[in-house]
Amino acid sequence: MFTRGTLIYIAQRIVLIGFTVLAVSSVVFLGIHRLPGDALFSERVRGQAYEILVHHYGLDKPLYVQYENFVVGVVTRGDLGESLVNRGVKITPLVLRELGTSVEVGGFALIFTIGLGMLLGVFAAIRQNTWLDYVLTTTSVIGYSMPNFVIAAFLILVFGIWLENVTGGEFYYQLGGWKGDIGQLWLPAFALGFPYASIVARLTRASMLEVIRQDYIRTARAKGLTELLITVRHALRNALIPVITILGPLVVGLITGSVVIENFFGIPGLGKEFAQSILNRDYYIVIGVFTMYAALVGAANLLVDLAYVVIDPRIRY
Amino acid sequence: MTPASFRFLKAMCVAAAGSLLLVACGNNPTTSTNLASDQTLKFPILGDFGTLDPGQLSSETDSEIAQNVFNGLVKFDNNLNIVPDIASAMPTVSADGLTYTFKLRPDVTFSNGDKVTSKDVLYSWNRAAALQGGYAGNLAAIDGYDKVSANKAAGAALEKLLEANDATVTMKGLTAPDATTVQAKLSGQAGWFLSAIALEATTGMLVDQNVVKNDFDNWWTKPETLIGTGAFKMTARTPNQSVDFAAVPNWWGSPKPTLTKLHIDILGNAHSAIAAYEQGSYDIYGYGGYSNAPVDDILRIQGTANEKAQLLIHPKVRTTWVQFNLVHDSSRIAGGPFLLSGGQAAKNLRLAFALAVDKAKLATVVCHDIICQPATGGLITKGLIGYAGDNTDPLAKFDAAQAKSLLQQGDPDGSKTKNLTFTYDPNNPLNGSVAQFLQDQWQTNLGVHVNLQPVDHSAFIRGYLSGKYELARNGWQADYNHPQDWYDNLWGKIAGCPDANCGSGYDTAAYDAAVAKADAEPLSQAIPDYQAIGKMLEDDATYIPLYYSQGAFLFKPYLKGAGTNNFFDYYWDQIQILSH
Amino acid sequence: MATAAVAQAQITRLDLPAQASLWSDAWRRLKRNRLALVASIYLVLLVAVALVSIVWTPYRMSAIGVTATYAPPTAAHLLGSDELGRDILSRLMVGAQISLIVGVGTQLLVLAVGVPIGLLAGYYKGPADSIVTFIINVFYGIPDVLVAMIMVFLLGPSLTNIIIAIVVTRWMDMARLVRGQTLSLREREFVEAGRAAGARPFKMLFGHILPNALGPIIVQATFGIPAAILFESFLSFLGVGVQPPTPSWGSMANEGVQAIRYAPHMVIAPSIALSLTLMAFNFLGDGLRDALDPRSRR
Repeated sequence: MFTRGTLIYIAQRIVLIGFTVLAVSSVVFLGIHRLPGDALFSERVRGQAYEILVHHYGLDKPLYVQYENFVVGVVTRGDLGESLVNRGVKITPLVLRELGTSVEVGGFALIFTIGLGMLLGVFAAIRQNTWLDYVLTTTSVIGYSMPNFVIAAFLILVFGIWLENVTGGEFYYQLGGWKGDIGQLWLPAFALGFPYASIVARLTRASMLEVIRQDYIRTARAKGLTELLITVRHALRNALIPVITILGPLVVGLITGSVVIENFFGIPGLGKEFAQSILNRDYYIVIGVFTMYAALVGAANLLVDLAYVVIDPRIRY
Repeated sequence: MTPASFRFLKAMCVAAAGSLLLVACGNNPTTSTNLASDQTLKFPILGDFGTLDPGQLSSETDSEIAQNVFNGLVKFDNNLNIVPDIASAMPTVSADGLTYTFKLRPDVTFSNGDKVTSKDVLYSWNRAAALQGGYAGNLAAIDGYDKVSANKAAGAALEKLLEANDATVTMKGLTAPDATTVQAKLSGQAGWFLSAIALEATTGMLVDQNVVKNDFDNWWTKPETLIGTGAFKMTARTPNQSVDFAAVPNWWGSPKPTLTKLHIDILGNAHSAIAAYEQGSYDIYGYGGYSNAPVDDILRIQGTANEKAQLLIHPKVRTTWVQFNLVHDSSRIAGGPFLLSGGQAAKNLRLAFALAVDKAKLATVVCHDIICQPATGGLITKGLIGYAGDNTDPLAKFDAAQAKSLLQQGDPDGSKTKNLTFTYDPNNPLNGSVAQFLQDQWQTNLGVHVNLQPVDHSAFIRGYLSGKYELARNGWQADYNHPQDWYDNLWGKIAGCPDANCGSGYDTAAYDAAVAKADAEPLSQAIPDYQAIGKMLEDDATYIPLYYSQGAFLFKPYLKGAGTNNFFDYYWDQIQILSH
Repeated sequence: MATAAVAQAQITRLDLPAQASLWSDAWRRLKRNRLALVASIYLVLLVAVALVSIVWTPYRMSAIGVTATYAPPTAAHLLGSDELGRDILSRLMVGAQISLIVGVGTQLLVLAVGVPIGLLAGYYKGPADSIVTFIINVFYGIPDVLVAMIMVFLLGPSLTNIIIAIVVTRWMDMARLVRGQTLSLREREFVEAGRAAGARPFKMLFGHILPNALGPIIVQATFGIPAAILFESFLSFLGVGVQPPTPSWGSMANEGVQAIRYAPHMVIAPSIALSLTLMAFNFLGDGLRDALDPRSRR
């Protein structure tokens, strides 16, 4: 499956991702230095102590020198610098750790998105124009019409409060209790993924309808369950292609949504870090978060393109 | 003290709800059968600490944690009396009040075993003075501080200078006649000196040179090198996620800690933290400088039968007010109609704006009469020395009719009060609510439309300290229970007014003279003088008083010894977890 | 042009009345789509409410303490009050203004920016197109909320700046669509004919290609409105939306979410308003797409 050509392609893409990451870092670095307010200045720390701090972070050097040091640090040591607000905290291990957490939650949301979305889309397509179809279609429209934090709030209201006796009521993030803890993972993953599951459901439904006409389905159903399954599987394979097409923007969308959801549930991932760093004016961390996101998006896009190879053997690089 | 660098200090202990458990200085025997087998305390904070280096720290969270890791010569006890800590007894003071002699306990050690001697006091204090961190000024009374405060060296270079006892980083008034004696000679009378060096977790605290010299800036970031004399030491840290502490075995101080471990989680969201507390994941909410719980959660808990008793509302030592820009010159660019130079007309305007705000309604609507109460007794918070008494501040009155007539006198054609802007920092959500309330009040009661301008916190601080805003929010949180803490830092030449680091720009000869006199006197003598200074500010209508803050804490019923006074959380060494 | 008329006529189906241009055809189909009809009625009502709120609301929307704080709905306050005792219904009405301004405003700017870029990239192809495509892909690679947050911080949180931030992060959808349309339309016979007749590019683009691409463009813009409103609600939730006391549904929902355990009514009203409005625009967009799609069999 992975020919020499493909491997070369992968290598090229990885290099491209590296450049893109650096480009994004640079743009953010240079742009952010114009933002008002800085984390070092506070009512108690002003005058002399402020100057010393500024010097410690190298902020008194001219911009191009700072940028040069930054690039050298990133490329040679992977060093994204030190947090402005939390002294002594190195940024690279911090964002790497948070990247892992975000990927875990986001990954779960992604599986849920595609799995549930496609499932609903298939059902709606098979039962086109029945009440099931209408219910599913309307639900999906509601899904991508509601802000995810509203969905999360209602979920908490229903499952965390009204049904507290049934579910045990623990839906806010418990540090250290995440890995493999589906019981706590599913609520934020659901809130994060539901809007996109709705979009996937609509795409799948539309794509399946294109491939299979209703009478074909009716015939297959009449002929028996196995026949139906074969038909559906055949249609599903084609329906995967538009889903994979939107996978790139979907990952970006999940990242966007995670900024809100992580804040809401207190999940210590990149999204929460980003929002907090912006509010704290900890610009170095903001740059670090952006860098991680750029790498994540690049990697996701690469995986998507490779997924095409797996799905459609005609595609070659 | 500042609105942003939250630091709890001393005040009186106000017994509030029944969940506040008083511990009488460690001699409260609890039979071991009462104690839970797992003595691990867990509580959440909403933001990671910035630094734990006593020479650098200035924020409330930092000090609430560091106070358990470091000690100084003297400290404040739970009732905010100054008592000896590393010193074996209170210092002897020379007849002229200028020389303080401390004798140190011989049994004090750092958590790594290093013995504490007078050398460590000199090193720590000189280092703190040279670092010029947030509270370096606590040492300002010592002779030679001025020279050291001009130091510009940092990092390893500074360490070299300190090791060489270089004159530029050595306060000449600070000496060590022998290994257990420290002498501090002041440059002038200062009744506030002991309070300043007792301030927990700051510049009066001792650090271990053996550890600091190896990594001058970041020694405190790693558990192995965060070495202090306190009852607890750091055992693990995941930045922005959690931090763990453990009791130091054979600790020299008292009471000997009952807790064996502490686990602090760093969450982002107050609502989820409180929810987690309610579900049993945490023992305390509000420790670590995060006692500003959201009002709706407080209301809800007050309405929940089995949780009501766990809630403690406790006065803090913070006052919030509206400041007018009183001076306009080349460096203070905001003009405005409230300038002192505007004479009686401007004063009428200031009074008008002050009387048009219904402070009681603000406390009811914005704070639900829970997290704040109207500031009716001057700017020094109720409960502190220097408080003028309930309902003594004429600026705290609400009189819409008089406000309107004063407005007419001060600005008959309405031109001066056109296009005014009230600036605030929205980082604390209460500030936004207060700003909207003020805007609504001035609109309704005066008919004047004031624009709202939110400015991010550090830019805001810079801005109002350099006179950029005609109307702005201001506030102060006391560091210690001494009026000097307020009057030296907020107004007058001594604070830097009018042009440097001064919010309102207020500086009069009368003020400067009065403050200089009061600062030199011992506190008991100085109180009436300080009261007079407060009256001066009132007579000149220099501010609009708003509210005194109250903090909200949650304590599980199975805790003993946990609590708070107006300034700081009770030390961790007093806390015991009963079986439950 | 003769060829165009012939092409149009070929599209006309036999079972439709003789006089049927694409637009009246679409209009007829749209009218038959019940969901889209209901959605349109809702939107008309929404605009009416927004217009009314400019001059009148039950209470002044920034009046603090008109009633007890966190009060649930009563006869005097149909939707209850918020954490400062302000009437939620009044704020909701004013919030409608904000949402519509954000939604429509962003799309107008997106049209102004994305359509010309897409037309030029698709028509001239070559290096110009490569550059535009590259830029579009770069923009797609960056999560929009993050960029918008930074931009609003840079510029300050005013309504104008929020609109600009949203446009900067979402113009690519329109540009990519228009580019695709242009690329396919430029190969059609009437374009060839026009070129042969010597028409200048400007006339080609705006006289012939654009009118034929108008259908998908309108659909895209209609879908872009709820996306922009959603975006603004995200920004408000994160604290960088419109500043108080101006109410936006997003910031009202945020306040409601904060107090959800104590006063659930606060979050319900703005959430429903947001969801209904977004759904309405989405249904309308669906309807327009079906109506304007010449391949539709209905």
